[in-house]
Amino acid sequence: MVDRRRIQGPEVSVAPIIIKSADKRTCLKDEHSRRRDGRNLEDICPIFLKTGLISQANGSAFIEIRRTKIACGVYGPRQTKIPSFSGKGNLNVEIKFAPFSCQKRRQPYRDAQEKDLSQLVIEALVPSIRLDLLPKSTIDIYITVLENDGTASCLAAAITCASVAVADAGIEMLDLVPASSASYIGGEIYMDSDLAEEQHETGYLILSYMPSLKEVTHILQSGDVDLALTTQAFEQCTDACSKIYSVMINSLLLPIRDTQ
Amino acid sequence: MPNLTKYVTPGRRLCFSEGVTAGPGVYERGEYLYASVVGVVQELAPTTEGEPRVVTVTREKVHSAVPDVGSIITGKVIRMTTKEAVVSIMVVGNMPCKDDFQGIIRSQDVRATEKDKVKIYNSFRLGDIVRAEVISLGDARSYYLSTAKNELGVIYAQSVAGAVMIPISWQEMQCTKTKTMEPRKCAKPDIPLPEK
Amino acid sequence: MVKNSLAFEAETFRKIQPQEYLRRFIQGNIRPDGRSLSQFRPTTVNQSCITTTNGSSMVRIGNTTVVCGIKAEVATPKFNSPLEGYLVPNIDLSPICSPKFKPGPPGELAQVLSENLNNLLKSASVLDLTSLCIKEGIAVWVLYIDLVCVNYDGNIYDASVIGMITALTNVKLPEATFEESSGLVKATEELSVTLKLQRIPYSVTVALFDGQHLLVDPTEVEESITSEQITIVFDEVGQLCSIWKVGGLPSSPEHLKQCMNIARERYKQISMIVKSSI
Repeated sequence: MVDRRRIQGPEVSVAPIIIKSADKRTCLKDEHSRRRDGRNLEDICPIFLKTGLISQANGSAFIEIRRTKIACGVYGPRQTKIPSFSGKGNLNVEIKFAPFSCQKRRQPYRDAQEKDLSQLVIEALVPSIRLDLLPKSTIDIYITVLENDGTASCLAAAITCASVAVADAGIEMLDLVPASSASYIGGEIYMDSDLAEEQHETGYLILSYMPSLKEVTHILQSGDVDLALTTQAFEQCTDACSKIYSVMINSLLLPIRDTQ
Repeated sequence: MPNLTKYVTPGRRLCFSEGVTAGPGVYERGEYLYASVVGVVQELAPTTEGEPRVVTVTREKVHSAVPDVGSIITGKVIRMTTKEAVVSIMVVGNMPCKDDFQGIIRSQDVRATEKDKVKIYNSFRLGDIVRAEVISLGDARSYYLSTAKNELGVIYAQSVAGAVMIPISWQEMQCTKTKTMEPRKCAKPDIPLPEK
Repeated sequence: MVKNSLAFEAETFRKIQPQEYLRRFIQGNIRPDGRSLSQFRPTTVNQSCITTTNGSSMVRIGNTTVVCGIKAEVATPKFNSPLEGYLVPNIDLSPICSPKFKPGPPGELAQVLSENLNNLLKSASVLDLTSLCIKEGIAVWVLYIDLVCVNYDGNIYDASVIGMITALTNVKLPEATFEESSGLVKATEELSVTLKLQRIPYSVTVALFDGQHLLVDPTEVEESITSEQITIVFDEVGQLCSIWKVGGLPSSPEHLKQCMNIARERYKQISMIVKSSI
């Protein structure tokens, strides 16, 4: 069916076939266990996190980790459109990948992956937000991924970013929710892996954690992994979350300090 | 001792909960009090002897207002039936809402006396700006509002001729251009908005 | 007495009587954000900021932020134009950028903007489409120009045009060849081919308030209050590419002439900003 609401290109188009110039086998780490960007296996990347860039939203945040770039806007609390009375607030999350954000062009329609990821963000954030104080209201969180450098780390970044945006909107919450990810590659744990590393992974772990309360809000693990390795990954992720937590706090307090 | 000022983010542990009450922006969990918004911590001394101290966190940034029971709102009449007037709530207290909420004034809530004689059409017109009080969270869609107080009712209206009208009595307004009278449930002017 | 009934706090007054609020500012020859009537908001351009694209840019005009990314794919050309490639511009006004927009398919404004960008590319023949040809009648490049608005604070069209044009100028395509034997298009890994634009148009939008005051580069609030807006597009040699007027009321030729002059001046500004962003 032709979508008349968008400018249409040709009916079929494909990404060109790239001739690899030489058989460069991507080596994920060197003999000193350093990764291609110089990190150790257990290191996470530096994070750029800034609040308040979307002036129209009640709260907003922008996060950049490696090449991953995510913008998040929070609207609300505003009137619920759902026609049933609820004594509790309602949380709605929509993740959108920009058509140009991935290696292959994405269709502008909302696809299954976006719905799936949106649901995961809701699950990770709901325990941290005091929705019982907001009867009849909805909080809408819109997340736009401008560039995606590894889906697991991208989801973790989206959760971190959304949590900061909610705090920026002045919505009451129990704690901030940093999230971090780990990939299992060849029996080892690669923290915060990028796109190339992710293509070699046999499984991943994404952990959302409230450091101050020491409570896990969400955990997602996939792949066939040894229990001991999972436990280790879990510990590394909690450590990473604590590091991300301090970045989040800084990003929220910095604008206040600046105005002083 | 209200001198303890510092900035905190949600989840920051503030103090033991014993002998201290959690004020706005603070919650209690286990044996501690935690901050729940970004802002300044303040410890208020008890107003009367023997009362527990109160710890609050005041937001730095103005957030979007949400109507609550008892709050005074300002809004515009956007729809009318013989039984009720639908109001788009624009301002709660002195804080504008980013997105409007919907409220209704039922005919029995227009004024305090002779409720059975109220005609919505003689109290409000479309486009009027009214000041009202939220009396309940209402139904699924709307908050229930009331104008049954002297200082509540229409505060700004345009006449049929399109000019601004001024209140003459509590139930009549006069057009500044044509001097015709139109019925309204007027708010008593000159009374500033009650604090909180 | 009349004054009394209007004695709101400034914020409340703005919310309830936006038109009157703006009018009082304009009478003092200033706008609510402190600009004069003929002053543009600070404009910044970032080029090649997204690596998953063939060409990209990010434009900020005041708070309005637009990210443009161009991705190239291969398709068969149309039967009656076997040498010509495709340019497919689309703008997405997602609910992240303003509470005005709802989730779902593009709304009216987004459709109008996309259509206008498409018309501009076509009618001003910004790019020679035959330069996108890989093999006549068999394979051509399709450039998907996707614009994502991250923050909507008015004057989206100007930002989109700057974004689209700068992204087009920094497009890098791989060297592509059509292999007769396999019937496939093979491309090199390095991106080396750049595009040559025939014209470089930039647009300028002016809002008309109360039928007499010209407000350049209107914000979202000003846009929603003023009923008429005039958009003028010039190219690098000062030739007019398009005029687009929104709103029902007539505007005088003098106003149009004034807008033209504003647009000419602004063009220099924009090209300076774009040049310094490389």
